[in-house]
Amino acid sequence: MSIGPISPVGMIAPPMSVGATGAASATSGADFGTALARGLENAQAAQTKADDLAVQAATGDLADVHEYMIAATEASLSTQLTVAVRNKALEAFNEIMRLQA
Amino acid sequence: MPLFGSIGIAGTGLTVYRKWLDAVSDNIANVNNASATSGEAFQARYVVAKAVDYGAGTGGVEVGAALLSGKTEGRMVYEPEHPLADEGGYVRYPDIDMGSQMSQLIMAQRGYQANLAVVDRAKDAYQAALQLGRG
Repeated sequence: MSIGPISPVGMIAPPMSVGATGAASATSGADFGTALARGLENAQAAQTKADDLAVQAATGDLADVHEYMIAATEASLSTQLTVAVRNKALEAFNEIMRLQA
Repeated sequence: MPLFGSIGIAGTGLTVYRKWLDAVSDNIANVNNASATSGEAFQARYVVAKAVDYGAGTGGVEVGAALLSGKTEGRMVYEPEHPLADEGGYVRYPDIDMGSQMSQLIMAQRGYQANLAVVDRAKDAYQAALQLGRG
């Protein structure tokens, strides 16, 4: 008993042209990832400032108590803002993903 | 205007009131400094608050200058036992009105508290904005 050779797989039909959608994303300007990264950088900068002031408070170099509290508040708010934006974007993405079901 | 501008502006107010509290504290601490009549008496220190131009995009307040009262002659008090007394028996005491200093202390404290309330309310407002559209 002989096994016949495997017949070659036929060519897969090329997908439909994606030129139209590619052009649309190219013209939409700064993408969401860049905006989110900038937001994260802001939150990071605020956290660094709060950390520096916390070190000053520990070493006794802090002149104004409120300066640290304000920096900590701003850092917390920046983080909350970035997380809120990210959650909203994820929500929108999940909504789109549910379309095919 | 940076992000969370009102918190930063209230922060500048807090700094000014903290410096005012420092100045009043300094004045009260030195209120009984006797000095020889040949020298000058201790002068009360006053903080001059100055607005930071809102149009420039920053806003807030800053301490423009710390001025002395200029009352260098002080009050002449007859204290012949004092080691610094001159041949007439007089020494100089600072010409600082304790009542005025105490009312300034209250104003500075209340101003500080008011700015703290602004920081708190602004934080609440920003957090409420972050809850927008949720639930």
